[in-house]
Amino acid sequence: MVTKRRGGKPPEAYLPLPPATFHILVALADGELHGYAIMKGVEARSEGSVRLGPGTLYGSLKRLLEAGLVEESGERADPERGDERRRYYRLTSLGLSVVRAEARRLDAMVRAARRKKLIGERPA
Amino acid sequence: MSAERIYRLLLRAYPAAFRAEYGREMVLLFRDQCRESDVRTLGFWVRVFWDVVRSAPALRAEATRTIEVIMKLAAVLTLLVGVFGVVNAVVEWVAWGTGTIAGRHGLALVLGICASALLLAGGAAILRPTQRGLHAARYALLASLVLIVATRLLHPWMSVFSQLVGMGLPVAFLIALYWPRKPSTFGAA
Repeated sequence: MVTKRRGGKPPEAYLPLPPATFHILVALADGELHGYAIMKGVEARSEGSVRLGPGTLYGSLKRLLEAGLVEESGERADPERGDERRRYYRLTSLGLSVVRAEARRLDAMVRAARRKKLIGERPA
Repeated sequence: MSAERIYRLLLRAYPAAFRAEYGREMVLLFRDQCRESDVRTLGFWVRVFWDVVRSAPALRAEATRTIEVIMKLAAVLTLLVGVFGVVNAVVEWVAWGTGTIAGRHGLALVLGICASALLLAGGAAILRPTQRGLHAARYALLASLVLIVATRLLHPWMSVFSQLVGMGLPVAFLIALYWPRKPSTFGAA
């Protein structure tokens, strides 16, 4: 069933997500993070294949904030990274629905590719 | 020149509003990157420049979307001008009925009413942001422009203000409607 959310748009209306946007939303699924933590999370999760620079990261965050998929959760210093205050971001319930919908879409594509033997079986 | 100063110069490629909102955070992130990388290597700067090149033009294009808000305000103005044009032409039409206006002036009035009605329809169509609405607006504005030019040829005493509004508005809207736009919600990133 497709549930309508903010602005009348269902989560599926935001798909497909650009790769950088999907990676940011997946990183924020762990909880609230600041820009640098998002960047490092994306880099680690993609095994170094996706590297977000400041422009790409904050450009994507700006669009996600405007679309209501992400919200700011405050500004404070990260003790591990000095005493400069940093903005923290977190997923909204719409953002969580959208990232889940995108993950399901990608999963369906991978399963289709597997059925056609374009890729191997899932490793044990 | 320090790496951070170079990066602050590169930030000028982004729209001013974006810099005001995220510039400080971007510099903080850049400092973090500098701590963890060797800023003297070519690879580091290639990555920095590539990030600016791939993100700044898209953000600049998005910043110009405010033109769509201006378009809506202008469409409302066009509606009002269209209503004013129709009312004005009807008043003159009534005068024509009393015998004070005749011949080509009368025909010019009919064309003026049609042009104003088309301008009104064009403004209303722009307020409906669908492909069909914008398509209809283009035809209405083009037809309005043709009729205003015909009216001007039939009735050379048309005021400069009426000529400027009658011809300027459709031309400005036609240029704006044919201007290319970026469709995606989240851009290409």
